Amino acid sequence: MKKFIKQILLFLLPIVLISFYADNYISTNLKKSNSFAVKEYSTWNAIIDGQINSKIVIYGSSRAWVHINPKMIGDALNVSTYNLGIDGHNFWLQYLRHSLLLENNTNPQIIIFSLDVFTLQKVKDLYNSDQFLPYMLWNDKIRNATISYNGFKSIDYEIPLIRYFGRQNAIQTAFLVKKTNNEVERIKGYQGQDRQWNLDFDKAKKTMKNYERELDSSSIVLFEHFLNECKSKKIKLLFVYSPEYIEGQKFVKNRGVIISLYEKYSKKYDIPFYNYSNDPLSYQKKYFYNASHLNKTGAELFTKKLIDSLKKYYYPMPISEKNKHIVQRK
Amino acid sequence: MLFNSINFAIFLPIVFILYWFVTNKSLKYQNILLLVSSYFFYACWDWRFLFLLVFSTVLDYCAGIKISDSKNQKVKNFWFWLSISINLGFLGFFKYYNFFVESFAEAISNLGLQVNPWTLKVILPVGISFYTFHGLSYVIDIYKDRIKAEKDFIDYSVFVSFFPLLVAGPIERATHLLPQIKKKREFNYINAVDGLRQILWGLFKKIVIADNCAQFANTIFNNSGDYSGSTLMLGAIFFAFQIYGDFSGYSDIAIGTARLFGIDLLRNFAFPYFSRDIAEFWRRWHISLSSWFRDYLYFPLGGSKGGTWMKIRNILIIFLVSGFWHGANWTFIFWGFLNALYIMPSIIFKTNRNNLDIVAKGKVLPSLKELFSMGFTFGLTVFAWIFFRSNNLTQAWITITKIFSTNFLIYPEFDGDDSMKPKILLILIFIVIEWLGRENQHAIANLELKFPKFIRWIIYYVIILGLFYYGGKEQQFIYFQF
Repeated sequence: MKKFIKQILLFLLPIVLISFYADNYISTNLKKSNSFAVKEYSTWNAIIDGQINSKIVIYGSSRAWVHINPKMIGDALNVSTYNLGIDGHNFWLQYLRHSLLLENNTNPQIIIFSLDVFTLQKVKDLYNSDQFLPYMLWNDKIRNATISYNGFKSIDYEIPLIRYFGRQNAIQTAFLVKKTNNEVERIKGYQGQDRQWNLDFDKAKKTMKNYERELDSSSIVLFEHFLNECKSKKIKLLFVYSPEYIEGQKFVKNRGVIISLYEKYSKKYDIPFYNYSNDPLSYQKKYFYNASHLNKTGAELFTKKLIDSLKKYYYPMPISEKNKHIVQRK
Repeated sequence: MLFNSINFAIFLPIVFILYWFVTNKSLKYQNILLLVSSYFFYACWDWRFLFLLVFSTVLDYCAGIKISDSKNQKVKNFWFWLSISINLGFLGFFKYYNFFVESFAEAISNLGLQVNPWTLKVILPVGISFYTFHGLSYVIDIYKDRIKAEKDFIDYSVFVSFFPLLVAGPIERATHLLPQIKKKREFNYINAVDGLRQILWGLFKKIVIADNCAQFANTIFNNSGDYSGSTLMLGAIFFAFQIYGDFSGYSDIAIGTARLFGIDLLRNFAFPYFSRDIAEFWRRWHISLSSWFRDYLYFPLGGSKGGTWMKIRNILIIFLVSGFWHGANWTFIFWGFLNALYIMPSIIFKTNRNNLDIVAKGKVLPSLKELFSMGFTFGLTVFAWIFFRSNNLTQAWITITKIFSTNFLIYPEFDGDDSMKPKILLILIFIVIEWLGRENQHAIANLELKFPKFIRWIIYYVIILGLFYYGGKEQQFIYFQF
């Protein structure tokens, strides 16, 4: 028996040692990829490596990611701006980005929060779970934010390499990242979509009935916590509901209820709320590629409108040491 | 808890250490540990069905003692039929209730009458087909005076519930397993090392071969209308390797695991795709089930002792029952029927025992005749798998008509994944390894003799690398649904 145990341990030793090195190698290379995992790595790297340090940041889902051009805002207001919109995720993981941002970067002065009907929803599956792979080992913040989803097991956060089991695409990407075209497509987190209206909505209109978006109580609690946190850290918040194709708005039965909730928070926490649901852009199909997402032209037109609204809150002028957190015109 | 899961990778070493280091002084404690571990293992699926398993165990345990101890034939008969009818009743209810109700309603509607079938959302308890057969064989053996009833409830429960075989076999016999449970087990280094090797090879078959083939077979069979005859043919071949890798992989892991505890389970697969005729195939495929049907159905029906018609009837019955055992679907029954047709000529002409030895024994390559025989047998098997895998007979028929048409001449195309070619190469490598190891219990059993330790370990690391690259999906084993 002793011989058996000894042989097993001897056999496993190289595996254990190599697993640390292999994990590090795969993770380090994987995060260099600008094409894998819906191109989210460049944004995660910027957050975790402390490269954001922007005065204005944009939060939200894919609607934030493809709707608000931070470069245009930065150029117009002469202020550093970064878009942290995360594709396919609701507030639960938008908050993860926020907490990692505060941990690794200087606090922003203004957060533009792009709201939508999905913000306070929570789904079961961890969409695009590959985006967490290179960062999640022994990271409590990522673990706490993602463990409640169907995606990873506890062991994935604790033991090197386990989470890469069977993730063939991730492993291949890590090994081939140096050999493939790896241009950064996101500019300060934003990626305009040069796309035409697709037929998804027209198909859905024929088959789908309108439905209700279920609000998640834990997300609401976290959202209020976030609002209080921003208040205590003196970070100015702006709520924005960016254009949504007018016919698509009718699909969600409780859209009005959800927007009323945002209005309630806006009043309670004294947060300006810019709702573009009825903006002329929302009526023109040519500015969308689907019912929820503006194309690049639409996004840039919308960003211009947003800049006009932002001018009320941000002046490109030197600020006194005392009031460096918020420059606000009353 | 799946064999191909991290949970099992944690569970197994813990039970192993407790077994050999904590409870090793007492056989009783070792058996209690095995029973508790087995119930825990089973409860990980659905703890509610644990009660069914315990009930079935208690019933057969009591029935066995009553049959064995009683001098009165009426009492013996009572307990025998009680056990048989309750066991088959449970199996029938959980596995076949909806099938019978729906088939009855369909038959009635064909006569122009309408009935609303009262179907239930019955969940099939995992392993019920296997542990029920354990219990049945035990009670039948006692009734036929082949064995004495087991008086120790723990020992009997371990025989029924021993976790490596609990959910998908091999289907054990009391005459083979119970004596091992009652005897003090000694740790055997060579047996344990080969057990680990067998587990490793089983995992390779499941994770690398079966799960990869499943990716293609599922896509092709689930969208059979979209593919050409040649692609459908390829889908059927992928399924043939999927089901072999899946079930024989499972059996290897089960047998290997049992060997770590000093227990030898019955062999379940013996390289069936290297069979030269269908009779040989059925001696090599799911051996524990085939031999169960032989001993508890074919022989009691008269076996091959009667006239030709009796042989034909008996063969037909066991293959139809075998098909039905696999599931409540006409596709399985037709699959059984087709195999009965395949084997019938060899039974009638008494050529079914022509190929009892290992093909090309002691040689590297088979003769042309052997190669042709193996290819032909494999082709027949693949054809039958089409019925087994299809969702219904209509789908199977459409698939077959497409295969046997000019559609077959179109170059196979598969748009679901572009990595089909490397996986075909993987299957070819797998066939070569299996061929080279076909004279052993499992394909890599002879590494010990052929290679020095350094090379052997490199081979193991390469297999582990394959598991790492292709693993993580934790796909269910096909036979869990049976």
